[in-house]
Amino acid sequence: MSGGLIRTLHLGSTRRTRAPMLIAPALLAACEGQQSALAPAGSDARVLDDLFWVMLVGAVILWLLINGLFFYVTRINRAALSRRFANGLIVVGGVIFPTVVLGALLTYGLSIMPDQRAPGEGLTLRVTGEQWWWRVEYWPDGADAPIIAANEIRLPTGQRSEIVLDSARVIHSFWIPALGGKMDMFPGRESRMSLMPETPGRWRGQCAEFCGASHALMAFDVVAMPLADFTAWLQMQAAPARPPATDAAERGAQIFAREGCGACHAVRGTEARGAVGPDLTHVGSRLSLGAGTLKTTLTDFERWITHTGAIKPEVEMPAYDYLTDTDLSDLAQYLKGLE
Amino acid sequence: MKRVLHTLAVLAVLGLVAGGAVVGLGLYNVSARVGHMPGVSWVMHTTFRNSVRLRASRPKDMPDLSDAALIELGARHYDTACRTCHAAPGEARSATMAAMEPAPPHIETAVQDWQAHHLHWIVANGVKMTGMPAWPAPRDDDVWPVVAFLLAVQDGMTETDYTALTQLPEADAPMAYCLGCHGDGGTNHVPPLNHQSAAYLQASLHAYRSGTRASGIMAQAASGVSPQALDELAHWFARQTPAEPVAAPQMPVQLIAQGRALAHAATGDGDVPACAACHGPNARDASELFPVLSGLPAPYLEQQLLLWRDATRGGGRQAQLMLKATQNLSDTDIFALVAYYATLRTNRSDADE
Repeated sequence: MSGGLIRTLHLGSTRRTRAPMLIAPALLAACEGQQSALAPAGSDARVLDDLFWVMLVGAVILWLLINGLFFYVTRINRAALSRRFANGLIVVGGVIFPTVVLGALLTYGLSIMPDQRAPGEGLTLRVTGEQWWWRVEYWPDGADAPIIAANEIRLPTGQRSEIVLDSARVIHSFWIPALGGKMDMFPGRESRMSLMPETPGRWRGQCAEFCGASHALMAFDVVAMPLADFTAWLQMQAAPARPPATDAAERGAQIFAREGCGACHAVRGTEARGAVGPDLTHVGSRLSLGAGTLKTTLTDFERWITHTGAIKPEVEMPAYDYLTDTDLSDLAQYLKGLE
Repeated sequence: MKRVLHTLAVLAVLGLVAGGAVVGLGLYNVSARVGHMPGVSWVMHTTFRNSVRLRASRPKDMPDLSDAALIELGARHYDTACRTCHAAPGEARSATMAAMEPAPPHIETAVQDWQAHHLHWIVANGVKMTGMPAWPAPRDDDVWPVVAFLLAVQDGMTETDYTALTQLPEADAPMAYCLGCHGDGGTNHVPPLNHQSAAYLQASLHAYRSGTRASGIMAQAASGVSPQALDELAHWFARQTPAEPVAAPQMPVQLIAQGRALAHAATGDGDVPACAACHGPNARDASELFPVLSGLPAPYLEQQLLLWRDATRGGGRQAQLMLKATQNLSDTDIFALVAYYATLRTNRSDADE
């Protein structure tokens, strides 16, 4: 009896708190964390952040001035103004003041733009928007072949890296709010931007142009690392895949070949040379699976392989829902082992 | 006005009662012996002819209907599926068939006055209330071999021609029937079977039987034997030694090269999965459920790829892989892939490259 009462009370309280609990994190997440232009971690994002605050403060001051003036003439001093004063107000407040303010803001705003496309200092990334994932090539200074990765952007801190953007079929938009402004990606046309991360850390990027059914699930991880760490990481990415370390992984590698996964995915150092989907040479060491959609845990590998379309609507990869549980688990072991 | 409405209502009720009595009390005589009342046959037959003329449209592209291999395939299908009712050229209909109401016309009469697209429509759709069935598959491009045969009948095919066309090779019972079309390395429209794995053949035969892989001709063939017999057939064909490689068809060298690049994912763009990963050549580690494509006849390969792209083709549980894989193929891609695979020599182990 009393237990029932307590349960009822408890349910009641849950119901009451549900709405604010849902809204609060959404509001807070907008201001800080992995994906916010208001928590800058790079020089480009900081410039944009400054621009935002200058504009916001300016807009608030102007709003107060205009409304103050309006309040003054309608509530405090309701007598007619002299024609001379009124004329002066129109010329100064309506022509000179806006011209000066807008001119200053425009000059400030335009002066920022070239920095967004400043040339890089060695490393060039080539990012191609696919439906719905990111093909990433790293071209270190003087390289004649790229180091291929996917769905993860790593950049050295304290150095400006150039990013060349392209798209396969539809328009996407490349945006890492914590590091800089966004830039559209067009099929058949290269667009360029550059980023200079300052703080090491992990952020999230997101496609910012509607690009089809799974647009909202087209995200990526961004990691800014000190130069030495970055160089070591890149060297590891350049290496061919490690051979399977366990019996399960070895069986998984055979299943990978048996099911023809290599038709779409490349695993460097093996027969798999496909280029339709992401390069999987080091997929086990990536931070996410399915372009920021799942984690790279064994369970998530299995979920992804068997439920592609349910997890990501209209995705090109077919669902391998006919694999046996053992096959699936072996395959997941193999993929997780590709570090 | 009110009186008119009253009368109409009474008439309607009487009509309903009369109709109900015919259906409910069995007043209508369905005896085929008695036949139709005068004029009814004429009305129904005229309706049939006009309905076909209205609905059969001339297709944009027809295969070459004078192709001997197409006529032979059509004749062999006709022999098992249609001959029972319509008889063969030079042969009399059985007495039982002639007693049907309406009696199926002898094939030599049936094909008169129709053009290719009319015949295609009739074979694909069947005719209601006559006993003429629809094509037993949800696609109708594979109706053309039958049309090619029917046009040959229209042109005066003799009994001797027909017997020569439909003769079965020397072999045991179920195999002889299969070998009629698939023997001797197949034809342009029929693939040879003896370089595929038993697993693939088995899956395909069951898919034909259950309808997940659509083909009017193969549905008829696969429904003629028991599921166990299908498994035995699959293993029997897989055991046969591959036919001596015939001379590769002539294909433009550039097209072959384009096909090779596509099949091995060497084009540099990521639109088409590498066919070779599953279908070879040299896909030794790939599942036995994936068919070997090397050396298959070009028209057959082209037709299958088009069916896949149009999502008309199915198969076993792996069919979903091919449905995804073929979505981005252009017509040129298909021609190039066909040129590449048709010119590779046939070999089950694919050690030919």
